[in-house]
Amino acid sequence: MKDQRLETRVDTQTIKIEARKAQVYYGTNHAIKDVDVDIMDKTVTAFIGPSGCGKSTFLRCLNRMNDTIPSCRVEGSITLEGESIYDPRVDPVQLRARIGMVFQKPNPFPKSIYDNVAYGPKIHGLTRNKAELDAIVESCLRKAALWNEVKDRLQAPGTGLSGGQQQRLCIARAIATSPEVLLMDEPCSALDPIATAQVEELIDELRSQFSVVIVTHSMQQAARVSQRTAFFHLGNLVEFGETGQIFTNPKDPRTESYISGRIG
Amino acid sequence: MTARPLNPRAAIDTRASLLVQDPRTKARNATEKRFRAYGLSAIVVALLALVWLLISIFGNGLPAFKQTFITLPVTLDAALLDKGGKRDPADLAKATTVTYGKLLASSLEADVAAKGLNLGDMKPKDLTKMISEESPATLRNRVLADPSLIGTTIEVNVLASGRIDGYYKGRVTMESAALDKNTSPAQLALADQLKTAGVMKTQINPGFLTMPDASDKRPEAAGLGVAIVGSLYMMFVVLVLALPIGVATSVYLEEFAPKNKFTDLIEVNIANLAAVPSIVYGILGLSIFINFAGLPQSAPIVGGLVLTLMTLPRIIIPTRAALKAVPPSIRDAALGIGASRLQTITHHVLPLAMPGILTGTIIGLAQALGETAPLLLIGMVAFVRDFPGGPPEGLFDPASALPVQIYNWTQRGDPGFVERASGAIIVLLVFLIAMNAVAIYFRRKFERRW
Repeated sequence: MKDQRLETRVDTQTIKIEARKAQVYYGTNHAIKDVDVDIMDKTVTAFIGPSGCGKSTFLRCLNRMNDTIPSCRVEGSITLEGESIYDPRVDPVQLRARIGMVFQKPNPFPKSIYDNVAYGPKIHGLTRNKAELDAIVESCLRKAALWNEVKDRLQAPGTGLSGGQQQRLCIARAIATSPEVLLMDEPCSALDPIATAQVEELIDELRSQFSVVIVTHSMQQAARVSQRTAFFHLGNLVEFGETGQIFTNPKDPRTESYISGRIG
Repeated sequence: MTARPLNPRAAIDTRASLLVQDPRTKARNATEKRFRAYGLSAIVVALLALVWLLISIFGNGLPAFKQTFITLPVTLDAALLDKGGKRDPADLAKATTVTYGKLLASSLEADVAAKGLNLGDMKPKDLTKMISEESPATLRNRVLADPSLIGTTIEVNVLASGRIDGYYKGRVTMESAALDKNTSPAQLALADQLKTAGVMKTQINPGFLTMPDASDKRPEAAGLGVAIVGSLYMMFVVLVLALPIGVATSVYLEEFAPKNKFTDLIEVNIANLAAVPSIVYGILGLSIFINFAGLPQSAPIVGGLVLTLMTLPRIIIPTRAALKAVPPSIRDAALGIGASRLQTITHHVLPLAMPGILTGTIIGLAQALGETAPLLLIGMVAFVRDFPGGPPEGLFDPASALPVQIYNWTQRGDPGFVERASGAIIVLLVFLIAMNAVAIYFRRKFERRW
């Protein structure tokens, strides 16, 4: 298990996703208010905050998963490498191939382990033949630290794995389409501590290739895996900065109350 | 946590012995026992009713699968059957069933004489009545199909009359025969002798499943052939139309349609349509398909279309329930990888919903198979002797249907049709059980856990 890396340097400075004055409404309910966030490339960004503060809602705006909720409306600007993702010309299907997502509950398809990982490359036409597909499946399972556990039973159903293995399978599935950004919505909340540690380690490794955004309830987890942290409270972005600074020297009294356990 | 405050009375009760039930517990246990007894008695009553139904259907219906036949050597006299002598089909057709009837009767007479059986007080011509009126026609068709038989002696297996057949199924007795102008005790006595001589046999009758319906006087010749073909054609039409339309409707309503007043209205109406009496669909089919579209009456295509209308809501409702039951996490997973909505549905949601969809469809088909009322209105109750042609043209030929045939036979006067109707019910039940078995098989096969 990694120590709290409070002094970790933020390695890259390219901005991947930029949100300015982002607003989200559910019907008449104003769920997200004036959120400005920059998601850096090759960085783990953590969203923390009490339940119902809107961190998951905001995460789902970043790859337009909120489109499936009819009453949901997004205003303001959210751009991926300078292009607005809510532009009417944008097809959410293409967007989601570039911004992958891992969900709170492990949700492998009720198909084989191989088919789970191969599904994304297949529908996006990323491979020309079976050998290429095999290679992608293997490399993704290796990146997800699952290869050694499943290489002998790739045709076994993905739903037969343990919870932690299922979640790593979902991560392998998400990175199989080679996204630029990986969104993770409380990926460890359904896992036991050992599986959590494995997934956290994995997130740290994925940072070398992807930009990762993780929503978490656990402040320890945010401190362990992220370089930058955003604190949400009641739909507002209260504070956003380097993880070390947020946890040791918060500027806003609300952040301080939350990380010291007084609100939330 | 603070300790739960104790109810003072409960405190007193708990101090009493655990081995003695307090009045409250006794009352609760008694209620539970009564409830179980009600449930059990309801099940027992239902089972008894089922047993009664099965006993009465099988008791009445099983004899329909057996029939009494007379095996005779018949000499096909060329002088009688082909007066022109040229085997010209037009000439051959001039010999009517009356001629063939006489030929059969004289053959039977000769056989009786050869075996030295006692005719009793019967005149030889009374022997005609022992042979089914259908048999001369059967023999005539055989000869017309193969004129080279003329002049030879062939062994024929002809149906005995309904009364003789009924004698061996317990329907006709010596006493009832004495009062019946269609038979006589002397015929029955001769029948017994023929049976001993091996000329007459009661054996399995495949004709019950393959022959067409027969007229009022000939219950022994009536079969389900046309009805089975008609029902199969209709089920084919229903399956081909109702399954794709029903599934497409359900997928659209469940996955694509915006949720607004209009779609709410459609949903309520689909639920209501499932409860509309089926005869109403018959009237709808009569006015649309026959009066407006000009499709032929009594045709399986019209029956199939009407049953499709009736089955659609019954497929849509379980299909939507099956789609709803697919966990949203699977949809999220597919969308999150960048599958389009249609890909999400066809690759993940539909396969997971498949057991539910197939079960709903097959149950819907089974209901359609047993449906009578709408078919009466579109003319499928007509008396049809000719088999419809092969598909697809055959879909437009007149045909009957199993439930309508049952209804039809229960209306006939001759007691021979009672066993026919019950036998047809057995056939219908076998079809229904087979379809349900298929539904169960599919549910097991496609069921996947997640």
